[in-house]
Amino acid sequence: MNRLYALLKRELKTDQKDLTTYALVIVLVLFGFETMQSILARSMGTSFPAEVYGELFSSFLLVGGFILTSLIFSEDMFSKDHQHEWLLLPATNLEKFLSKALFVTIGYPVALTLLFFLTSVVTEPIQLIIFGNPMRLFNPFADSEFISLLGQFWVWNSIFLLGATYFRKAHFIKTVLAIGVIGLVLGLLALLFTKIVFSIRFGSSIEMFDAFFYLNPIQSSSTRGFVALSKSLYYVVLPLFCMVTAFYRVEEVQATDAV
Amino acid sequence: MTQMIQDSPMVREPNQDVVVHIQQVSFAYGAKQLFSALDLELKKGNIYGLLGKNGAGKTTLLKILSGQLFCEEGAVRTLDDDPRMRKPSLLSEIFYLPEEFPLPKMKASEYLAMRSPFYPKFDHSKFQAYCKEFDVDLSQRLDQMSLGQKKKVLLSFGLASNTSLLILDEPTNGLDIPSKRQFRQTVASAMTENRTFIISTHQVRDMENLIDPIIILHDGKVIFNDTVASMSDRYVLSLTTSKPEFEQSVYTEKVLGGWMVLKERDDEQEGKPLDLETLFNVVIELSRSQKMGGVQ
Repeated sequence: MNRLYALLKRELKTDQKDLTTYALVIVLVLFGFETMQSILARSMGTSFPAEVYGELFSSFLLVGGFILTSLIFSEDMFSKDHQHEWLLLPATNLEKFLSKALFVTIGYPVALTLLFFLTSVVTEPIQLIIFGNPMRLFNPFADSEFISLLGQFWVWNSIFLLGATYFRKAHFIKTVLAIGVIGLVLGLLALLFTKIVFSIRFGSSIEMFDAFFYLNPIQSSSTRGFVALSKSLYYVVLPLFCMVTAFYRVEEVQATDAV
Repeated sequence: MTQMIQDSPMVREPNQDVVVHIQQVSFAYGAKQLFSALDLELKKGNIYGLLGKNGAGKTTLLKILSGQLFCEEGAVRTLDDDPRMRKPSLLSEIFYLPEEFPLPKMKASEYLAMRSPFYPKFDHSKFQAYCKEFDVDLSQRLDQMSLGQKKKVLLSFGLASNTSLLILDEPTNGLDIPSKRQFRQTVASAMTENRTFIISTHQVRDMENLIDPIIILHDGKVIFNDTVASMSDRYVLSLTTSKPEFEQSVYTEKVLGGWMVLKERDDEQEGKPLDLETLFNVVIELSRSQKMGGVQ
């Protein structure tokens, strides 16, 4: 446990400067966005939009989070100058993997939520004084979509974590491309499968999208099981598969330099 | 000489004094075979010097025995453990100083606070003392230090970590002349009977009187693993002005003002002390002539 804590501390310390810069960028973007919204609302005589932070939060959580995750193993696993220090750091491979996985999967969303809240605490009174906008502090829990957003982050982040350990360079781009290709192949296979299954059940004359209507999950009890199974595959099996595979990549990693 | 040049596989039971035991190890980078059936045994309480030509595989060997690279065939035991498992108990007993390395953007004192918790036997007072000996300013940022200064910080860290095995890859590269002397003194003073140093180097003159025994890696094998003294007991080095007879010498080299001749010692014959550079050249030359079936 002490080693895991020391590893987490190491992650934070080594990336401290970059993370601070990133946090500053977020603060400036939020402040700038809020100010622009206020100016626009005043000039057009409309009311100030109720939700400004929410839109940006999801963008920073997903895009920023996936880029951060893609880069998390880059130096320690694949940079020939850095890897010796990480490979020989006296901790188990599981601890090394967990420290990074926890950092990006839990640490990042928590830190981002806190940063948004603190920024709103500073920005909102300024906006109130200058533009007379009503104070609306960032409260993600007021948004019903927040949990769903975190769920999506958990799933996709695990995929990017696998990409971070699988690809040696250009982790983010390669992961996005791989997702695109795999998605396309799986989509085609699913289409083919669905077409065959629906043809058997409803006959070949029925159109695909009409068939979807007949199989509305609310109407059909048999499809409820299928939806539950799909959800568990999506939210549990897929992320765990990605995490376990990423861990095995960490276990088998070796120094990458030549003679 | 042939007795000293290792050709046959070494099959020995590991004992407590053995720090590294490498048996029949093969390793390749893609199609390029680097080691085939390599054997090596290192005992504790020594400062080993690992010598070899460029591309002989010195760094690769160090990485294999520290668990950074995995061999394809054969067995490697480091401190009686499998280095491929990278267990914390083993890693906390190994300190590796690479030839080139970047350090994080922080002060040396912050680096110490971040990394020392991983080494249970780390001695903070010794670290301060070594840094003082090397004249390192701990308040300076690591990324603003020169390569030599960074090496001094890491070396101080390694020595203070009290690990059983210290692997130093070209440690004197980047050090100025006074620091090289300081390096030799500090390493010698940090040496204990339970510690082992493996120092890979091309700068043999920097390591004179420090590294012994010597390991010479050539053509994917360890062709020499012995002390300089044992060579001096068997051979005598002398300078002659006339070209020596072919049969008289084991090795000859044209030098300024004559010939340097290595002969088999037949009595209490006085000669020049055998320096590491000559030893290296002799061993490589003899290995080559043995392969070609010749004498010299």
